[in-house]
Amino acid sequence: MSAPEKAGRKARPRRTSSRVLSTTLKYLCSASAFLISGILLAVIGYFVSIGGSAINWQLFSELPQARGMEGYPGGMLNAILGTCVLLVLASVVGIPVGILTGIFLSEYGSESRIAAPARFVCDVLAGVPSIVVGILGYELLVVPIGHYNGYAGAFALAIVMIPIVARSTEEMLRLVPNTIREASIALGATRAHTIMKVVLPAATGGVVTGVMLAMARVASETAPLLFTALGSRLLTLDPSQPLPSLTVHIFNQATGPYREEQTQAWAGMLILILLVFVLNLAVRFSLRKSTLKLG
Amino acid sequence: MALETATPPATDPAPAPARRRRTRVSGKGRAWDAIFAGLARGSTVLTLLILAALVAVLFESAVPSIRENGAKFLVSSEWRPNEREVQKRDAAGHLVMEDGEVATETLPAEFGALPVIWGTAASSLLALLFAVPIGFGAALFLVRICKPRLGGPLSFLIEFLAAVPSIAYGMWGLMVLAPLLQDHIEPFLRSVLDVPGLHWLFHETIQVGGESITRVLPLSGRDMLCGGLVLGIMILPIVTAISRDVLRAVPREQIEGSLALGATWWQSSWAMLRYSRAGLLGAVLLGLARAAGETMAVTMVIGNNNQIKASIFAPAQTMSSLLANEFAEATTELHRAALIEIALVLLLMSLAFNISARMLVTGGATKSGGRR
Repeated sequence: MSAPEKAGRKARPRRTSSRVLSTTLKYLCSASAFLISGILLAVIGYFVSIGGSAINWQLFSELPQARGMEGYPGGMLNAILGTCVLLVLASVVGIPVGILTGIFLSEYGSESRIAAPARFVCDVLAGVPSIVVGILGYELLVVPIGHYNGYAGAFALAIVMIPIVARSTEEMLRLVPNTIREASIALGATRAHTIMKVVLPAATGGVVTGVMLAMARVASETAPLLFTALGSRLLTLDPSQPLPSLTVHIFNQATGPYREEQTQAWAGMLILILLVFVLNLAVRFSLRKSTLKLG
Repeated sequence: MALETATPPATDPAPAPARRRRTRVSGKGRAWDAIFAGLARGSTVLTLLILAALVAVLFESAVPSIRENGAKFLVSSEWRPNEREVQKRDAAGHLVMEDGEVATETLPAEFGALPVIWGTAASSLLALLFAVPIGFGAALFLVRICKPRLGGPLSFLIEFLAAVPSIAYGMWGLMVLAPLLQDHIEPFLRSVLDVPGLHWLFHETIQVGGESITRVLPLSGRDMLCGGLVLGIMILPIVTAISRDVLRAVPREQIEGSLALGATWWQSSWAMLRYSRAGLLGAVLLGLARAAGETMAVTMVIGNNNQIKASIFAPAQTMSSLLANEFAEATTELHRAALIEIALVLLLMSLAFNISARMLVTGGATKSGGRR
């Protein structure tokens, strides 16, 4: 029996009770949408009200201090720099591989048997628990080297990054109209030339925002770093050693016993949330613009 | 059809005449063309290899545990990473004396994953219980009720909610929700619900000195309920966003048809929900996969107790939180291998959820794309 028939049959009596039920459920649906917004505001509101007052210059310019030392609790300069190092290393691997995979899926996909499985694997990989990816990093780069190190952390982050970049690049390239490709080929350009000089530039806005979103996602990951980069209270930029990161630092502070450090964790988290917010906003506007341009 | 997860159409934008043109370009250009295609193909193969490597490496590292624990791993409820000395007791529960002293025995290390499998299952189901009705309701609101001017920002809010780092939810759960549960909500629930038949919710039986005594469960706020709620909040965006896309793909005729037959708002909405049930199930499964794999937030709020407790007001442990808690401190090879076996189970589970969800969402989309 198809759905509308059923709905129709049910509707025939149309008693007041069914109309009351309908109205009630309609309001419940609206209520749930506002509940979601309410939750978001409750969460963000707490970060703004508690973390906002704890944001100061010290946070960006100083190293964490041990309890009892002068200047406690210090800042999170080392964690911010550590996250930057991890992000750069992960991007160096993740962005080219991701973009090339996206190009393959979009531009060469029809001629290849691996395109469909690869597309599927990208979707599935994006859903793999990130802590499992951390264990892969541990087994491949921590065990052979003998101690926790930043390379393992960057490797795990790159794996988180690749499927996101690949799929968003593919989708952005698909928005480029086929006529543009055909025009380029008709002028005698090779396919590589067409992709690099014509298709990619046409989709630059979308591709870049996809990459930025992936970087934001990776910057806010904690689980893959726990057994790879580990974290550190020292100022270090050497990825062959344990590297601090903003998220692990915040996690340790938030679950620690000291109120000063907890407050700082709220502030650090607020910075990260603001970063994610700005990136999301940028994506929203650039996507609107690029679809307009292409449409 | 604006469905992110849908498989792209079969027609590929790659132009066919490319190969014929190749004769005109220079040798250098042709070489670069081949290199570029090779690079793109290589990256794609690499992506495929990542998944294979995940399964293979985890399996290989878990072998010592698989060999040692066998099938018992999945059904034993005892998780004891280190051997432990306990006082020896006879069958009646009395202490055994040897040479005037209490005799002790050493329990070997044991690895049973049942408590964490239970913890993952129960917390994910709680999360679904919370997120699915609200998510579907909000999706219906976005598709059928609200004006585009409100829908745009609301959709943005929901997508932003999905991008907020998971430890942010963990911190909020730990410092805001858990105290609220502990001081207000849980005592209130206990005062209301602690009636005959529901005593198990608020009491636990523990072993003290060989006797089992029943006591009132201490309410900590960091328990299964808190874990489930935080997870529910975290999967709300994905459930809402995907069911919104799925509902949007329902053909207009379906809705108009049911309205023309005199259906009320809810009856036609119900027809929509029924029509896209495969896609909606996919949304639920994706939410489930996300909830089961989520680590940091759960670790912060679930209480981290490796025991199976019947009550949702008792602390628990999930697979991922066990990994986060113990992996860095595992000293014996067997302990580490057992933890990796848990990671393997988690990986296979999330693959199963993700694969079936993708199939349902894309399958549902193609189905609703054509007329039935």
